[in-house]
Amino acid sequence: MRALVAAPSTLLIAALLAAGCAAGPPDAAGTTAPSVAAPTAVAAPSTARATGTAGPFSPTDIAWLQLTVAMAERVLPVLDLVPARTTDPTWRRLAAQIETTERANLTVSRRLLGDSGAPATNPHEGHDMPGMIGADELAALRSSTGKAFQRLFAGHLRAHLTQAVRIAAAEQRGGVHPETTALAAAVVRRGTTDLARLDPAVPDGRGAGQAA
Amino acid sequence: MDRAAPLSGIPRRLRLATAIGALLALLGTYMVSTTARADAAPGANAIRVAEFPADCTYSHRLPDDPIIFPGLPGASHMHSFFGSTVTNAHTTLRDLVNSPTTCNPRTDVSSYWVPTLYNNNVPVEPTIVTFYYLGEGVRADVVAATQPLPQGLRIVAGNAKAAGPNESIARWSCLHAGQVPPSKNFVTCPAGTMMESYLDFPQCWNGRDLDSPDHKSHMAYPVNQACPSTHPVHVPKLRQVLRYPVNGNPAQFRLASGPGYTMHGDFFNAWPVAEMARRVQDCIRPVIKCGHDGRPI
Repeated sequence: MRALVAAPSTLLIAALLAAGCAAGPPDAAGTTAPSVAAPTAVAAPSTARATGTAGPFSPTDIAWLQLTVAMAERVLPVLDLVPARTTDPTWRRLAAQIETTERANLTVSRRLLGDSGAPATNPHEGHDMPGMIGADELAALRSSTGKAFQRLFAGHLRAHLTQAVRIAAAEQRGGVHPETTALAAAVVRRGTTDLARLDPAVPDGRGAGQAA
Repeated sequence: MDRAAPLSGIPRRLRLATAIGALLALLGTYMVSTTARADAAPGANAIRVAEFPADCTYSHRLPDDPIIFPGLPGASHMHSFFGSTVTNAHTTLRDLVNSPTTCNPRTDVSSYWVPTLYNNNVPVEPTIVTFYYLGEGVRADVVAATQPLPQGLRIVAGNAKAAGPNESIARWSCLHAGQVPPSKNFVTCPAGTMMESYLDFPQCWNGRDLDSPDHKSHMAYPVNQACPSTHPVHVPKLRQVLRYPVNGNPAQFRLASGPGYTMHGDFFNAWPVAEMARRVQDCIRPVIKCGHDGRPI
């Protein structure tokens, strides 16, 4: 008799529980979500990793290295145009010196990026970024020579160096990786010097216009 | 007598009938309530769409991106920000959770941003900005197992570097002019209508990382109506809908990132944990359309 009472009750309770699991608010238990989705992990961000990066590089270090690589890769073809498009020795010398610096920075930045384990590119670098020359502007440079070329080139170089110094200064303040922040400090120092050399050479009202 | 003491004075047959009756009554009540929830839902007029919205008007513009270029002010192309009013290059979750917001509901202090739209080089901001949180694009059982978006999660959608429409998931169309076919690039909208942009964010999370070095690989889009094993946690799908007060020839339109197909969106989740969890439980899992307050409409 007792067993007859107990059996249907157990079945009913089981049915209730099953119904509760199937139709009630689906907590982590009873759902098809894998165990990694336990609400505790979701509710406590400290248990989820802030980024996938590990080691001594901060997100700012990595973003700056990615951007520095992208900017160097963008300006080098511009610098390459100089020897063929102007005979002015002042401009050719300036371009050669800056190219040497950019290539050295690019080499170091790529190595540091490799050390960080981060991808060499990021979703936002690309066209229409501050200080980066666009395809149309590069085409305009390629079809100009002499003083017209110098004027366009100086404008792009100024934009590049200004942006490079701006973000390197931010990395110097906000970065954590010693060699990366040291590179940023060098970019600020060298970029500021190059901008000062560019000023008197550029016929845009800011300098003496010696090359105009 | 080895029966439980409280029942010992009641005839056995009655006890049995009472117990079964009570259980049946309980079961019946439960089935009615669950059936109601499944078929008609509270209020009988509930709309069977898994959705809750946040409308977040334009807040500010900055050439900053705290996801892609954290700590580097001025490093980005121009962005238009919605939601939290404090976002800049240095913004962290802590900054967001205490910030004012442009969102309805006010409880959403998340930050959302997109490349600024220019018309003849003049910035144009969308006047209707809605972020829908949806349970769709996956099987019903996956929707029913949706987990809340973890606080601090960062998601990027779209392709800022797209070199052509084929590399893009952008969608441009015209509000109140459905006859104009949607396109991955800007469309010509009739006078009196607004050009609009739709963008769907990935809804499968790897369950571990709030961000990743490329800012994409911790999230994935569904495959065959389910989340892939690498990204097994189904979270609400964020759909960004922006309505811009522009129409006509789009020749002079451009985004800060380039042509229309470079449209992209960035999301930094700062919803209070309990508010997000309640909406997922009350709106997404049971497939009920909710309003800004996260209650069934």
